[in-house]
Amino acid sequence: MNLLDIRNLSIELIHDDQSILAVDKVSLSMKEGEVRGLVGESGSGKSLLAQALVGVLDDKWRVHADRFHWRGIDLLRLSIEERKVLLSRDIAMIFQEPMACLDPTTSIGEQLTEAIDSGQLSGYFWQRKKQRHSAAIKLLHKVGIKDHNACLRSYPHQLTEAFCQRVMIAIALAGRPILLIADEPTAAMETTNEGQIFRLLASLNQLKNMSILLISHDIENITHWTNTITVMYSGQFVEAGTTTQIFSKPLHPYTRALVDSSPSANLHLPAKSRLKTLPGSIPILQHLPIGCRLGPRCPRAQQACVKAPSVTDFHGHKVSCHFPLVPLSPPKKTIKAAC
Amino acid sequence: MARDKIYLEETFPSPFMQLWLIFRKTPVAMVGINCFLFLIVLAVFGPLLAPHSPIDGQLDMLLLPPAWHIDGNVSYLLGTDELGRDMLSRLMYGASLTFGLSFIVVIISLVIGVIIGSLSALTSGIKSSFLNHFLDVTLSIPSLLLAIIIVAILGPSIGNTLWAVVLVLIPQFIHITRYAVKEESRKDYVLASRLDGASPFRILYYSIFPNITDRIMGQATLAQSAAILDIATLGFLGLGAQNSLPEWGATLAHGLDLFYIAPWTVYLPGLAILFAVVATNLVGEGIRHALKLRKER
Amino acid sequence: MPELLEVKGLSKSYRHKNYWFNKKTTTVLTPISFSVEAHQTLAVIGETGSGKSTLAKLLVGAEPASSGSIYLNGEALKSTSYKQRCQHIRMIFQDSGTTLNPSLTILQLLDEPLKLNTQFDEMKRKELIRTTLQKVGLLGDHMNFYPHMFSGGQKQRISLARAIILEPKVIILDEALASLDPSLRSQMINLLLGLQQQMGLAYILISHNLGIIRHFSDNIMVLSQGKVVESGKTRDVMNSPQHKVTQKLLLSQSFQLKLKPKKNKRKKK
Repeated sequence: MNLLDIRNLSIELIHDDQSILAVDKVSLSMKEGEVRGLVGESGSGKSLLAQALVGVLDDKWRVHADRFHWRGIDLLRLSIEERKVLLSRDIAMIFQEPMACLDPTTSIGEQLTEAIDSGQLSGYFWQRKKQRHSAAIKLLHKVGIKDHNACLRSYPHQLTEAFCQRVMIAIALAGRPILLIADEPTAAMETTNEGQIFRLLASLNQLKNMSILLISHDIENITHWTNTITVMYSGQFVEAGTTTQIFSKPLHPYTRALVDSSPSANLHLPAKSRLKTLPGSIPILQHLPIGCRLGPRCPRAQQACVKAPSVTDFHGHKVSCHFPLVPLSPPKKTIKAAC
Repeated sequence: MARDKIYLEETFPSPFMQLWLIFRKTPVAMVGINCFLFLIVLAVFGPLLAPHSPIDGQLDMLLLPPAWHIDGNVSYLLGTDELGRDMLSRLMYGASLTFGLSFIVVIISLVIGVIIGSLSALTSGIKSSFLNHFLDVTLSIPSLLLAIIIVAILGPSIGNTLWAVVLVLIPQFIHITRYAVKEESRKDYVLASRLDGASPFRILYYSIFPNITDRIMGQATLAQSAAILDIATLGFLGLGAQNSLPEWGATLAHGLDLFYIAPWTVYLPGLAILFAVVATNLVGEGIRHALKLRKER
Repeated sequence: MPELLEVKGLSKSYRHKNYWFNKKTTTVLTPISFSVEAHQTLAVIGETGSGKSTLAKLLVGAEPASSGSIYLNGEALKSTSYKQRCQHIRMIFQDSGTTLNPSLTILQLLDEPLKLNTQFDEMKRKELIRTTLQKVGLLGDHMNFYPHMFSGGQKQRISLARAIILEPKVIILDEALASLDPSLRSQMINLLLGLQQQMGLAYILISHNLGIIRHFSDNIMVLSQGKVVESGKTRDVMNSPQHKVTQKLLLSQSFQLKLKPKKNKRKKK
């Protein structure tokens, strides 16, 4: 059973009586215990998508979807409050700059104990404080912090970014989520510490069977840690499939360009030669192209690209393009995007 | 690579224009600034437009109620006081005294405060601290008390209240300028300017000041509403405007004795003070609100 | 090829102003010497606190060096005069958001170094600005815009235009490519390579991203706590690192550099 099943999610921005589709009919599905990567450059709407999932967008955004299932429950039928209750219990999110996400005026210990749900504690109310404390220590051990006493007493600004990110993950784990959404967790830290955080997430996935949605703008970074990848461009769905399929045989020109711009593809190039890039730059919200938004930049663009492409499925490898790169065999099924 | 579309249909607003465009969209702020401009026009042209003299009264028109009363007279639109002086003319002259003076006070303290604040931000160490806290001693003394001291030394007059209020307002500008300049000078473009070989004065003028004027303007409106109230209070106590100068606070004080017979001599100047302070505050709120929205964009 | 930039014994130490009597000095950069030739790129890597940014600031003249000297084409550069230095050594910063003054148009922004350092008249300056903008891939009309109307990639191009407008010999890239998206990064690299060929520039690249360094640089220098622990040609150092600091840095990103297909760890149960 799919853990999360979203079909044709769109997010509209209402501004001065104009509505702009920031996210245009994106589908995403996750199974239990899966680590999925969501790749897109700035302006692709990946953070918006994650925030819409958790339900933290403010009133100027409007969200529609054809299907939004969570563990088999149809969330579109529920009211907003019920949806929020359900999702906030099961989904947790960690963000980009961990030091900025922690309260600078309280110690880590207080913030961690605050995050622990009182439903998990048993016992009489005079025992609660001690139980919270021991639960906090257990959480710190789970994320690999052995010296818990020093950590509980210190304030966020006294720790490094990687440490703060571990604390954020511990706080996220306090609610015992089923899905953890990591929105560019390592963007603010040095590359030497990135590996630690990714290894931690991988171990959490293996040991507790927790699903993870890793959002990143760098496809190279996450290919080692994910099972499946979804690629987005400028709010539209581009490609989705297993990591090996995406990395070794990208079907969409944009994915091919992303893979080409990663360092491991350039190992074969002679030093100081020109890299392969797509011309142009990412369109801004006020000037979005109609139809396929990669159109103006795509080397394979033709007349048909002014209409938004539908999603084609090649053995589980989904592509949204009129002219995909290498159709290996006749497509298995074509899923029409609702216009 | 260049964009394929150029902004043909859009204008290129500078940050200041952006601020103005956001300001224009807030109706409350626009009401405020219209009232503010009205008051400025009144302050400048009031003495020319006033129908009667504010000082010489008509002895046969004592304590006339405003024109909407049964006993009122249309040529004395807002009534007269106990010496037969027309309230409307007094209020219009008073605008140039209370409001106009507060404006001048703010400008003087702004200029002095910004100069000292920039000097303090450009230097470092003890000199910088000294300049920063130089006039903080006046913050500890309420402007009223300071005015009494000055008046005790120099004698009561409206010029002395001006100096008292200026002294009290300067430290705010020093602090806010110093903080803003220090914050801006940490940014990379100031370093880039410095590396290009610009002198510190040039950096201050071209790179830093355009970016901090908005904050200083927001502070200036706060200072002005304080100044209006201070000048009016000092006039009310008899320490500021003397004799028959039609300053709003003084007019209010004069009318207090006759409150039960002629309430309009009290509430009209009071309303005028309220109007001025509210207009200034609305403009200040509008500026700060627009600054916040512009930062979010 | 003659050496363009030669650095001898450059060092920097700070004195703490904590106590009036007990002045502690911390050495951020021990005396280092290196040289860069035209058309070459030197990459500088190290962890935070190893002194890379200090080195960049010393080279460009933002801070005076405690000792040592810098020679450009054989001539010594005076550490106090900016005017001489800024024409030859320029720098591009990391954060494109704060690197451009938001209240000035691009024209005014690029005009400033020209007004301060050259004697050209207004027409000539405008023409020069237009050609420079075209060189970095923007349109001449863009000079009337304000910085907030550009995207991150375009802002970095404008910083590059500001750097090359005085036709320098050396450009220092202080983590300039770190905040860009991968596709914009590739475009920027192509642009930098083209300019290097055209104008004979030398680059000093400070970066964390070893993939770019491998592709882009000829020589590499590894700093740790203010000392040069290893230096040499990029391919040699990256293929066989000698010092353990270098090995640690390379290991953390080693999966980017292996040529054989990576082992994909399956996470499913």
